[in-house]
Amino acid sequence: MKRVVIFLSDQLQARGLQHLLLNGFNIKAHIVADASGVGQVGEIDALFTDAITLAANLRCFLPRQSRTIVLTPRPIEGDGSIAFLAYSSTDELIAKLSDMISSRRREQDAEGSMLSQREVEVLRLVVSGCINKEIADRLGISINTVLTHRKNITAKLGIKSVSGLSFYAMMNGIVAPQ
Amino acid sequence: MLNLINHDTRVCDIVIGEPSTVTVLNRFGIKLGVGDKTVRRVCADHGINPDFLVTILNTFIHKDYFPEKILDGFSASEIVSYLSKTNAYYEHFQLPNIERHFQLLISRSVPQNNNLGLMLQFFHEVKQELMNRIADDRDKWFPELLSGSERHAQAACGDEDATIEDKIDDLISMMVMHLQGDYDANLGMAVLFSVVSLKNDILQNNRIRNRIMRPMHRAMSQQS
Repeated sequence: MKRVVIFLSDQLQARGLQHLLLNGFNIKAHIVADASGVGQVGEIDALFTDAITLAANLRCFLPRQSRTIVLTPRPIEGDGSIAFLAYSSTDELIAKLSDMISSRRREQDAEGSMLSQREVEVLRLVVSGCINKEIADRLGISINTVLTHRKNITAKLGIKSVSGLSFYAMMNGIVAPQ
Repeated sequence: MLNLINHDTRVCDIVIGEPSTVTVLNRFGIKLGVGDKTVRRVCADHGINPDFLVTILNTFIHKDYFPEKILDGFSASEIVSYLSKTNAYYEHFQLPNIERHFQLLISRSVPQNNNLGLMLQFFHEVKQELMNRIADDRDKWFPELLSGSERHAQAACGDEDATIEDKIDDLISMMVMHLQGDYDANLGMAVLFSVVSLKNDILQNNRIRNRIMRPMHRAMSQQS
């Protein structure tokens, strides 16, 4: 998460969260004081707020609801379009932030990669010299599924040969260079 | 696309219409500066069998062209001579040319860009396979064709079913799709063009191998 914005009614809480994100997760967050400040940031990966600010600035948050995270002292049931992060202590907040940030980072890694996580696993086994049956046994999938993954890998990467795939895997840190 | 070539086609029209034929003509000793001479005239000047040159050029240029009466048209020594020169061109010009461009590209890119080094390693693997095929041609297949002996079993190539041509395609995909980091853009293009040029030449000459040389070898084996 590169572009993180904090829009809270309590400036002290905003500073505390900014400090926590920087020191705990190496995330440099930008504090804004009002809705126009959010608009000036441009594309946002995560937007932290609270229930009061959310309710008072719905026109600001609705277009960004999939990236909005509402910090709340009590659990709130939403429709899933906005994430509510309920916490009763700082430790609980840190633990939940950690889970959420890890999950979002994994999602973003998957979006940035040409291959799905499963395809990466298949690729790793292919370049290690496994035949299709071994790959199927190790991953607990059928040979047909292995073949489908291999076909998709070749289609996505434009690389057909095993040695070509090996070099691709080395270039992208999927396996260590020999 | 050029029409089918015949004895009366002007050589300049062939080269202008399909510039890659300049490599074919070079293998017959025909160099640029052909004036407006026809195939018949140029062949007479160079002591070349015009039927053979026309067949080679049409097979090289046209994907759907299948030559007829191969054995009546020309000799085994002519086709072996042509393909030997083709192999020599790969070995002594195209492969070193790609390698030279690659080395230059790496030397002028940031040292942290190890992608290029890995691509060069992959190119070396492809090069070695092509050199093995050239050696196989020179030491086994061509002598058998010249002596009319039993059909040569092609040497097994590389991993699973991937051919040299597949691996050259892979190298091209790596450059086009997966090249990362900072590098000299002009040299990157030079490497890409030289690899694509090699691939096209191999594919075009594969048609000559498969549509002329193999049927000729098969027919000669059956006759002997």
